[in-house]
Amino acid sequence: MSALASCPSCGAALSFRPGTMVAVCPYCHALAARRDRDPELIGKVAALMDTGSPLALGATGTYTGRAFTLAGRVQLRHPLGGVWDEWYLALDDGRWGWLAEAQGRFYLTFTQAPHGTLPAAGSLEAGGLADLGPDGLWTVGEVSEATFHSAEGEIPWAVDPGATYRFADLSGQHGAFATLDYSEDQPLFFLGREMSLAELGLRGGAKKPGKVGVQNLNCPKCGGPLALRAPDETLRVGCPSCGSLLSAEGGKLAFLKSLKQPRQDVVIPLGAEGSLEGVPVTCIGQLRRSCTVDGTVYPWNEYLLLDGQHGFRWLVQSEGHWSVAVAVAPGDVPQARDGQRSLFALGATWRRFQDVAATVEGVWGEFYWQVEQGEQVQVTEFVAPPRSLTRERQAHKGGGGEVNWSLSTYLRPEQVQAAFKLQPLPEPTGVASFQPNPHKATLASSWLWLVGALGLLLILVMAESVTHRNVELFHRKLDLYELAPNLRQVEAEAIRRGIPVRRPSPTPGPAPAAEAQEPVFFSDPIEIREGRQNLAVTLSAPVNNSWVGVEGALVSETTGVAELFLLESSFYHGVDGGESWSEGDHTQTVFLSAVPAGTYVLRLAPQWDGPLPPVRVIDVQLRQGVMRWLYPGLALLAILVVPLILVFRLAAFESRRWQESMYGPSAGTGGGDSGGDD
Amino acid sequence: MRILYMIFLGGGFSLMVANGFFGREFFGQRRRADLPPSVRQTPGAYRTFLHNNGFHGGK
Repeated sequence: MSALASCPSCGAALSFRPGTMVAVCPYCHALAARRDRDPELIGKVAALMDTGSPLALGATGTYTGRAFTLAGRVQLRHPLGGVWDEWYLALDDGRWGWLAEAQGRFYLTFTQAPHGTLPAAGSLEAGGLADLGPDGLWTVGEVSEATFHSAEGEIPWAVDPGATYRFADLSGQHGAFATLDYSEDQPLFFLGREMSLAELGLRGGAKKPGKVGVQNLNCPKCGGPLALRAPDETLRVGCPSCGSLLSAEGGKLAFLKSLKQPRQDVVIPLGAEGSLEGVPVTCIGQLRRSCTVDGTVYPWNEYLLLDGQHGFRWLVQSEGHWSVAVAVAPGDVPQARDGQRSLFALGATWRRFQDVAATVEGVWGEFYWQVEQGEQVQVTEFVAPPRSLTRERQAHKGGGGEVNWSLSTYLRPEQVQAAFKLQPLPEPTGVASFQPNPHKATLASSWLWLVGALGLLLILVMAESVTHRNVELFHRKLDLYELAPNLRQVEAEAIRRGIPVRRPSPTPGPAPAAEAQEPVFFSDPIEIREGRQNLAVTLSAPVNNSWVGVEGALVSETTGVAELFLLESSFYHGVDGGESWSEGDHTQTVFLSAVPAGTYVLRLAPQWDGPLPPVRVIDVQLRQGVMRWLYPGLALLAILVVPLILVFRLAAFESRRWQESMYGPSAGTGGGDSGGDD
Repeated sequence: MRILYMIFLGGGFSLMVANGFFGREFFGQRRRADLPPSVRQTPGAYRTFLHNNGFHGGK
């Protein structure tokens, strides 16, 4: 039940709910502090700035089953410019909730009694960790100061007009959010999480989210037309006509300074409307930023996009590569130490790519912070193509600082072209840090083929191993001296002349003739019943630093078709310079294509150098249905060659990507948060 | 790349099936020839015939 009182300034009726410390008179803007008897006038507030908030006093909703009313609002000024709204929810159980609003995001917190000792403000650093003991380990998103600007309705804390409040915003996982308020001797602890307005079920006083409106103004320096599309949130404007940097605070443009702007490469004009990932967006600003690594300047363009919910996203263009970036709560990303090569966040493992100092070179259009030419942030990029996770650390003037994480997703130029209905965009050059590897998808699509082909190969090999029984059709040890009886005569003649001969087994034979006959062997008829299996002829001979060959023919007795083949057993060895060597083989096999079933004769004509054969006996074997591993091997090679090419190309692409990295395989152990030149 | 892969797969499996299930051989020192009856009926004529057809071994 609200207590009614009168405004100490104008006498208008004021309402004080339980817990209300200060009420703002809606008529005279007096700040009336609750006292035992009558409210005390503690000052007056300035007019509220129109922040474009979709909320309004009196709106009702529910939170965890408890009804609430938006009872009050305070506007606080940030040291980097601009104000943000802090709404106060009066719940029907008497509790109060703090609903902070910034860049279209909402954070609902409740005051909590800390379970441990809260850290001092001076011990916290943006991007670092805040150990709250039993209350958890938090990522410090920002350490800064807020200055009271204005208020309306009922405020559940003792507002001090013009006072400055030191605070630290903490971010945890899954949208958890906390604030440490150092405005009192004992820091206050506010705990909650990021919420959407839909979750709060707001009704009544809530305004519809504003459509992107256009406020047409003129540049106070050159008079050129300026169309502000987010006038409620814009703090700085870079005039595209004269290059002046303008202040847009309070809804009025004021000249700040002339900028020496670089040439503006416009791909997406200011005011261009499009639809990115299904979200309608308007381009309201363009930044040109650069970093310098090893003396080389790498510039890129960033287009600031405003969506219909007054949220912002960035479209980044670098050497023809495009990406869209959205903010990520610092608490959703674990602490990244200096030099840490990888981290696990947002369900993925990210590899550190580079640390650079990014500098603002050109400013065109409108921006929601007090952007300055030369403004520098320390950027650390982790990549998991097609996404990258980027940390930007920025120090505030006069102390404090903030860390912002953003998640970028790679876009093909055609996607940007279609989103904004642009002319065809130039092809990207080089490999971007988080460009998806085009060969990965091709390789992935070939996996099914690869597995299927390997399976088929296995089945074929198993079938062959069953059907190929290695049937012996002919096997004979041929005594060359028996084949050519006059060889003994030749041998005796050679001995008589004192010519040393090499004979494997000096068996006495018939009288030698003057010239050696050519030995030829014809087999008995061989019955071949299987007409679809290959044949193999094998020659084995115990040659030693010599060779013996066979000129063979498998002749069909029916058709006269002959399979002609040559075989050779050749083995040489020796010692050369203390190193022993050998070449050749005692055994050789030649494979013949299948022949029609029928009767065949095998003709074998042994050959050698010199008058006498180097061996007495040679072994010849004819088999059918011999498993040939050469052909499964060739099929396996055919199966693997394209995936191997793809793997090679994939690796080459990755190599090109990581050549640009400070943390690539070829990079040293260097690289850290101060790794980039500036 | 997919067409190239299919060509490779088709080639590899064709070779394997042709060898494994039809007994075709594609490599090695061999040749097929039609021997006239006059050659077949005269064993000594083989060598002359083969030599004249460019088929002879030796180092």
